[in-house]
Amino acid sequence: MTTEQVAQTGIDLLRIVRINEEIKRVVAVSFKINIMALNAIFLAKRAGTAARGFAVLSNEFRSFSEELRSSMAALTSMVYSCVNEVSMVLQEMRFTRLLQEASQLSSHASLAPMLRRRGLENVTHQENLARLRSQLRRALDDAFQMVELGGVLAKSAKIEAAYGQSFAASLSQVSGEFDHIVEEIRASLESLRRSAFFAGN
Amino acid sequence: MKTTKTIFQDGTHKWVAIVRDPAKPNHLVDTNEYLVTHGGRGLLLDPGGAEIFPAVFSALATEFDPSALAGIFASHQDPDICSSLALWLEFNPQMHCHVSWLWSSFIPHFGGTAETFVQIPDEGMSISLEGLMLQAVPAHYLHSSGNFNLYDKIAKVLFSGDIGAALLPSSENGLFVEDFDRHIRHAEGFHRRWMGSNEAKRRWCERVAQMEIDMLCPQHGAIYQGADVQRFINWFDELQVGIVNA
Repeated sequence: MTTEQVAQTGIDLLRIVRINEEIKRVVAVSFKINIMALNAIFLAKRAGTAARGFAVLSNEFRSFSEELRSSMAALTSMVYSCVNEVSMVLQEMRFTRLLQEASQLSSHASLAPMLRRRGLENVTHQENLARLRSQLRRALDDAFQMVELGGVLAKSAKIEAAYGQSFAASLSQVSGEFDHIVEEIRASLESLRRSAFFAGN
Repeated sequence: MKTTKTIFQDGTHKWVAIVRDPAKPNHLVDTNEYLVTHGGRGLLLDPGGAEIFPAVFSALATEFDPSALAGIFASHQDPDICSSLALWLEFNPQMHCHVSWLWSSFIPHFGGTAETFVQIPDEGMSISLEGLMLQAVPAHYLHSSGNFNLYDKIAKVLFSGDIGAALLPSSENGLFVEDFDRHIRHAEGFHRRWMGSNEAKRRWCERVAQMEIDMLCPQHGAIYQGADVQRFINWFDELQVGIVNA
């Protein structure tokens, strides 16, 4: 157990906490999309047949925000599992260090098997952490793909807004806001995918 | 590494003080640990903080098989008292930790399961160590609100936790108090600040004055023996505590 390993695990904990903060930000934004989609549906109803295509896209946006929220809930749960595992690894490391120090001062027979057992447990925790790390990475990739589709919806809404006749300006404003928010989420997820936590170094 | 000193022995019945670690970092308060043995089993009193576990373990292992520890007695809840609990439980997961009921759901943050803890009621209780009856003596608010001493009437030893503690300079590292008047200067500030209740202090003094005590063993500093035990009780009785100039 080296000082570098302990420091690295501490850095991992910091990184996972930052990931969690970014996910919380995306969750807050996805609530905003849901309200925006509701407003867009009402606006499209008022616009009538001229905004039929826009209405369909607004409904899709509402579904998108719900899917995004459940995707973020799954990510949050994975992040908590990672925090738990990293915390366990940190505690294991501390206790192992103290037992190693004891074994340097004492030749008591029980220490060697205890340290071996701890070594095996540490490997298990490291494996669990690696598994969670890769699950989280895959889930982030899936969320990113979903948001890319959200971007396509926003672009389509912009086109449909142009056919909104007297409502075109209002519809265009709403679709522009959609596009802006989706881009914001996309940038957040992109930065999360680039987190050094996934590189494991 | 800490050193061990047997302060009482009668057959398998022993009191071992685990004291003074020259290698201890200065930012950690110095602590005394005590091991009571009887019939091949041991009870470790205030086993100390996690960071000093290696020093305590290695010293204890020179005298006693750590896997034969039957239990731990924690005078109260502080980290320098028992934050090493999880490490000791590695050697014997069946080990019990005797502690005030007040702290029995707080100390598990240091380790252990629901089965680990034996709750001591406010009035105290007897703790058996292979037939040797030890008495948990109430010392609440001195300094913790749920606080116990441990009395061995056969050995006439009272483990007094933080009562009697002194923060000694490194030049004064004797195991026993040698010059009471000089020693007590290092205990005064500690007792004024850490002991929270004059009423609780009076009750404690009245209670222990009736006990036969050859040695009063605190968790920090030197052990009082012989006439110094009564001197300490009288001094403590007179001292006004629970005061801070702020």
